[in-house]
Amino acid sequence: MISVSMKNVGKSFGANKVLKEVTLETRKGEIFGMLGPSGAGKTTIINILTRQLDVDSGTCHVDAQSHEIGLLLEHDGLYPRLSCMDNLIVFEDIYGSPRKKTKEILERVGLKDAANTPVHQLSKGMRQRLGLARAVLHSPKILFLDEPTSALDPVTARGIHKLILDLRAKGSTIFLTTHNMEEATNLCERVVLLHKGTIIEQGEPKEICTRHNAVKTVMDLEAVFVKLTGEGLG
Amino acid sequence: MRSVKAIFKKQLKDTYKNMVVLIQFFLFPVVAWIMTELVARPDEYMPDTMFVTMMASIFAGMGLIPLVASIIAEDRERKSLRFLVMAGVKPGAYLLGVGGVIFAVGILPALAFAFIGRFEGQEFYFFFALIMSAVAGSILLGATIGILSKNQQAASGLALPAAMVLGFGPMIAPFNERIDQVFHFIYTHQFATAAEGSLSWQPFAIMWANVGVLLVVFIFAYAAKGLRS
Repeated sequence: MISVSMKNVGKSFGANKVLKEVTLETRKGEIFGMLGPSGAGKTTIINILTRQLDVDSGTCHVDAQSHEIGLLLEHDGLYPRLSCMDNLIVFEDIYGSPRKKTKEILERVGLKDAANTPVHQLSKGMRQRLGLARAVLHSPKILFLDEPTSALDPVTARGIHKLILDLRAKGSTIFLTTHNMEEATNLCERVVLLHKGTIIEQGEPKEICTRHNAVKTVMDLEAVFVKLTGEGLG
Repeated sequence: MRSVKAIFKKQLKDTYKNMVVLIQFFLFPVVAWIMTELVARPDEYMPDTMFVTMMASIFAGMGLIPLVASIIAEDRERKSLRFLVMAGVKPGAYLLGVGGVIFAVGILPALAFAFIGRFEGQEFYFFFALIMSAVAGSILLGATIGILSKNQQAASGLALPAAMVLGFGPMIAPFNERIDQVFHFIYTHQFATAAEGSLSWQPFAIMWANVGVLLVVFIFAYAAKGLRS
């Protein structure tokens, strides 16, 4: 069953064509990864799928109402003067979810001790974790995560991976963008490699690496990307 | 209703922690009190309520428009509004939540003005209802400007001229018939003239007609700009 689909989607900002004929599909209940360097068009795709941008050409479909979507973006949209807990309470009240669940999620993202700390006093990584807590508070049908672990230490990142896997086990579809090859290889069932607004490869990480002879001791998606584009992902 | 309650609670906490916003609610009554006690009352030729109506008019017209525009533009600038829209918060709920707090907190300075002016009986209720009607108009206009602005700076750039026109217009109107004819239909002018005139329902009809028009404009602005990147 298809959860998210884009067919021949094109998008330009002025003369800059950021997406060219992008076609992709995400199945219900899978973790789908989108890999590419900065400027590849990853965030534009998320903005289109979450109805914040219109497409210039092509069609897209998301099998969820906006309130059934969880969202973590670079701009976290948190209220800086409010505490971590108060930020979550806003959405707890909107979704009508129980306080117990809010406390549990705050604990799971490692912010239990910072529950009463105002957001403007948090580090970037802590803000990211709070943003993730808000995104999963209502157990969304589809979760869009833009670089969910980019500012996190490895231990916290592993905790976040576990949270993502738990959500998938409960039936959520996860659509994530990342620079982190290891994260994509270990977490995602299928990935697309995006370069200058064009999808250059897609499929299961193992299958892609095998196809491009990039399985060393571990699968190496970055090697595939370099082979196809001549550029690194950094 | 759940969304309204959530936004109202959020805005109440945020306003309480935002000293810049809080000061603006109490600055105008304090100035009105000082001017009334030190200048108006000792002068036998000056009406006692002169500075009260003047400062109340400036508070409701000029003070609130940039304030509300700035609060809502801040929500847009830091993308908080996008998350609310994604969570299914409708324009009416957002406006009732944010505007409801400003309206509720606005009751305090409105009462302060009425007490400083020593209004009594029917005059007290009339003055209070007038100022709260003007507050409602300014909340809606400020909210519309905030929602149409990309950031707080842009909101200030739009809100300040609008506030000046609406604030100073009624002061200029008595000196120019054409301006007076135009401003007759604007809520700030109705407030300024009615506050010093006799009790009548007519100013309320015009002021709430303004509120109705501004409400429709806000709903269209939210639908068009609330979620956009």
